[in-house]
Amino acid sequence: MNDASPLRVAIADDALLLREGIAKVLESGGLDVVASVGTGDELVRLVRDGGIDAAVLDIRMPPTHRDEGIVALEQIRASGSEIGVLLLSMYATPEYALRVMQTGSGTGYLLKERVSEPETLVRAIETVAGGGSVVDPEVVEQLVKRSRADDPISRLTERERSVLELMAQGYSNGGIAQTLFLGLKTVETHVRSILQKLDLEESPEHHRRVLAVLTLLGER
Amino acid sequence: MAPGRKGRIIRRTITISLAVALSLAMEIGGYLATPAAERAEVSYSTLHAIVPLVFAACAGVAWHIGPARTPARLMIAFVVLWIPQSVYRIIGEWEWVWPIVRGVDLAWAVIAGILVLVYPKGRLSGRFERTIAAIALVSFLVNLVVVVLFAGPEANPCDCAPNAYRIGEAPALFAAVDLGYRVVGGALALVIAGRLLVRWMRASVPARTVAFLMPVALLAWALTLAAQAVNYATAAEDGVLATVSLVAIASIPVSFDAGIAHARNMRARVADLMRITREGADRGLWAESLARTLRDDSVRVYWWDEAKGRYADAAGTPITDEDADPRHGHGVLPVASPLGAPIALIRHDRVLTDNMRLLDGVSSALRLSVDNGRLRSEIERTLEQVRLSRQRIVEAGVEARRRIERDLHDGAQQHLVSLGMRLRLAANAARDAGQAGLAEDLEQTITTLNQALRELRELAHGIHPSLLSSGGLALAVPEVAGRCPVPVDVDVQAEGRLPEIIESTAYFVLAEALANVAKHSRATRAWVRANVVGDELVLEVRDNGVGGASVDAGTGMLGIADRIDAVGGTITVSSPPGAGTTIIMRIPLDG
Repeated sequence: MNDASPLRVAIADDALLLREGIAKVLESGGLDVVASVGTGDELVRLVRDGGIDAAVLDIRMPPTHRDEGIVALEQIRASGSEIGVLLLSMYATPEYALRVMQTGSGTGYLLKERVSEPETLVRAIETVAGGGSVVDPEVVEQLVKRSRADDPISRLTERERSVLELMAQGYSNGGIAQTLFLGLKTVETHVRSILQKLDLEESPEHHRRVLAVLTLLGER
Repeated sequence: MAPGRKGRIIRRTITISLAVALSLAMEIGGYLATPAAERAEVSYSTLHAIVPLVFAACAGVAWHIGPARTPARLMIAFVVLWIPQSVYRIIGEWEWVWPIVRGVDLAWAVIAGILVLVYPKGRLSGRFERTIAAIALVSFLVNLVVVVLFAGPEANPCDCAPNAYRIGEAPALFAAVDLGYRVVGGALALVIAGRLLVRWMRASVPARTVAFLMPVALLAWALTLAAQAVNYATAAEDGVLATVSLVAIASIPVSFDAGIAHARNMRARVADLMRITREGADRGLWAESLARTLRDDSVRVYWWDEAKGRYADAAGTPITDEDADPRHGHGVLPVASPLGAPIALIRHDRVLTDNMRLLDGVSSALRLSVDNGRLRSEIERTLEQVRLSRQRIVEAGVEARRRIERDLHDGAQQHLVSLGMRLRLAANAARDAGQAGLAEDLEQTITTLNQALRELRELAHGIHPSLLSSGGLALAVPEVAGRCPVPVDVDVQAEGRLPEIIESTAYFVLAEALANVAKHSRATRAWVRANVVGDELVLEVRDNGVGGASVDAGTGMLGIADRIDAVGGTITVSSPPGAGTTIIMRIPLDG
């Protein structure tokens, strides 16, 4: 990432109003919106042509209005592209978030209404463009809220649970420390403890940690 | 037994007893009064005395089983009028009695003839029968008048007293009428027998069994009667012929009763036909059963074909003109609905026409059969229509929910999101312009807006979860289970996607069942299973709660049953008190 050359972003959303709004928000956040299209297929073609660092995709687009955004993401990954992809959805659906995360690193899943929080949106795009992962806090909240028998989450302390939620959202240890006003060392201790309690392997790769946490939450 | 019936039986018994007593008195008294040298042979006399006894017995039987009272009355009349010639030995002294007796002493032949004519219905039905009966009756009356008024000493059957009623001498007239009466009687008997015989021979095999004895008996009797007339004219005497004649006469009432009994048996078989009808036989089987019932293999049933406006048999072959025309040696029975719409045409042996009650029974059975069939198919059609319309309603409901959700998603939700974005830009601009208060207000508005969005999202999700459309049951069921406050184990084995109406039904019944678990069961665990077994989707919701649920109890369960029913599925609820609840629902995949 280079301050001199802003991130080149493409937007795919079938609602023109939102597409334009998102472009305005991103541009005011210092990003360079290079393309704006109405379908997943068009975006896939644009990405193949190159010159794009990140894409913002609506999940429901024509023709079936089901999961075209995710399908486009899968096609982008299948073509070998590693650009950052941020999926926007009207619903906080954990099953979608998991499917998105399973396509690999550099992906994010946010509620559409986050467009009214420009900083969140811009930071998410920067994160995925940098190979990081982003999961909407509401998705994580829903997953954590799901009640299961023999819930391993119940073995966590209050603080550990907060850390876990941020881990699931894609925060790095540094990010967690910053958000919770904790020292990096403390965060690292918490993370180790959490992974141990939840029987998760400590993974050096940040994205795999997110996926593991999400999967655990989803499969409890 | 009803008192009326009992009284009738007593009355009939007395009538028969009196007739028999009179007959025996005449036979025995006459025999004893005849000088030994002039007596007929004992065997002939005995046989002669037995004939009325046979009639009396048959009268009893006919009264019991017959459709009408006339035959039995005729038989009793026969018993009384069967007057032996020897009776004049007793009454010859009474000049005011014997001429009348002499006048009626062949009346038994008229009675026997009428008895034959009223077979089997018990009344004179056709013009032929009425004509014959009228001729016989007129002959009888003419003879009676002539005998009473003109019989002189030469016509005395014995050494009787002079005729008290005699008004003049007309021996020629008397002789002519006396002989003519016998000749007419013999001729009429031959005509009746001949007609019956021709009818019998033309009839099909089963019909012959109906009227087997009667024509034979009548023919034998007619022949002997004719022979007697000839003998009388020629003044010859033939003992053998006389004996055969007696046997033939005695066989008439026996044949009559046998025929009636046979018809009764047929009616019993019509009852069988009714039973077959009630069980809903198809047309082919019905015609077959009818042929069996009527013992008539020539029976054909032609059904009215409304579309083509003609009668055709079960195989669709239209009726021939010959079969449709009753003049071709067979009877045709049209059967119509109570409103007059044609149902069928039964072509049957003409002999069966005599048995109207049997045919009435047959046509009633047929009418019932057709009515039953029509009602049954109407009900089936209506049920199918109801089923289809309910399915259409459910499908329309699913479609409407999907459309509303999509309208919300593409409309209101998009607009609100877009609005939030603009508010944010405005707030930022306000802040940049140093209007912190305005920026604060706008940010408050954004928070409120996001709250509204959140509620709208929940609402849209409840109307139709987008996850169901895109991910099917495999994704949507774990999601809905995850929303349940009671921990739920989920096991979904549904490879690929199922028809939309089935997925939607399954999703909503599972959501409803889990809502019930959360609301009523007080369970701490629940299990949801959804898998495709054969050509069915089997759903199971189980909990470890308090039990006691039933389809009738709460609206929730009823709603589930209704949804399952609408897609042709079944539901079983097992919920013993205190032992949890298990609901198993099966939905056929082919709709």
